Amino acid sequence: MKTKKGFKMRTLLGEHIIVAEGKEQVNFNKMISLNETAAYLWEAVDKRDSFTVEDLRDLLLAEYEVEEDIAAKDAKAIAERWKEIGIAED
Amino acid sequence: MNYYKVAGHTFGVKLPDGDPLCSQLAQYEPFISPAVPDPIFVLSLADSLDDEGGELVYSGEPQSGEPIVRLFSTPGGWISEMAICPGRPLSAKLFMEKDFSAGKLLLLRPREALFSLNNALMLLYAFRTSGMHTLEMHASVIVNSGRAFLWLATSGTGKSTHSSLWLKNVPGSKLLNDDNPIVRVMEDGHVEVFGSPWSGKTPCYKNEHYPAGAFTRIRRADHNAIARLNNFEAYAMIYSSSSGFKFDPKMGDDLHSTFEKVVGASPCFVLDCLPDADAARVSSGTLLKLYE
Repeated sequence: MKTKKGFKMRTLLGEHIIVAEGKEQVNFNKMISLNETAAYLWEAVDKRDSFTVEDLRDLLLAEYEVEEDIAAKDAKAIAERWKEIGIAED
Repeated sequence: MNYYKVAGHTFGVKLPDGDPLCSQLAQYEPFISPAVPDPIFVLSLADSLDDEGGELVYSGEPQSGEPIVRLFSTPGGWISEMAICPGRPLSAKLFMEKDFSAGKLLLLRPREALFSLNNALMLLYAFRTSGMHTLEMHASVIVNSGRAFLWLATSGTGKSTHSSLWLKNVPGSKLLNDDNPIVRVMEDGHVEVFGSPWSGKTPCYKNEHYPAGAFTRIRRADHNAIARLNNFEAYAMIYSSSSGFKFDPKMGDDLHSTFEKVVGASPCFVLDCLPDADAARVSSGTLLKLYE
């Protein structure tokens, strides 16, 4: 999967948000709040041409002390959530 | 050339002698300024535009009522097409330099010349000042107790209605602007709200400014209640009520920086309301108390 073009992660008074700033997303009228973990993952994969749920899992394992099956479950959930709200696609 | 100073930024308008527009500029008169050597931009009229075409970067929604129909990025700058609303014949085309320091307006419908001039100036102003901690906002503004209280919402929700409810029901209220005030983050970090020559359908062109009291989003409801917004909600409100195209990376960065400062320095609320006197009682009860 990959992040959609036209979204930008920004820091708002210490919180992480994703806003639609690109011309590809002029009609996207939502703003997304990210927790620390989601912001770390987004920053890591937004630079890539594409990524997999396994990439997200590995990123979680590299940064946090967490069991592999829990990281895999969290990675899958966050990937689904990003697709659902429309900021990432297959 | 005429010079106008709006929210501390001076721009120039160059019209040919005797142009019919010259006698239609009453709304700009309160903002007349002495000549300056370095206006933020100069707008002039053109007989033709030599830089046509380019990459389409924005296209207005047919139902939006927005006057900007399409915006193109061209090799030399930008071209904006404008109309009374999308779907209507084009009123004018505006060429802007890459850095918005100059604009040339090609009028296509003489009867819509003032509409076109107003939109061209608002566009240049919003784009050019985006790097100067300045926002052109879509809001109605009431002044009370020496502070500016802004009502924000999409067109038709009741911003002007809420302002008129304050004028009738909250002693000491006056209207500063009914559609397009200018909001600036000043050097000391406080937020100042300025009147402008643009005020939608209400002729209210006041060259006055006041420190911001609060930004309040208006939402139609079957009751009256006011609640404070968190930073995230406040940012979304300021973001969606400010002019400027975020797809230009520098403008996106500049606007974000200003939004964040405004949110950090200003109380922000949402008002669920009816169009009745009690709504003004509820909002003023909370907002004026901030500064007692």
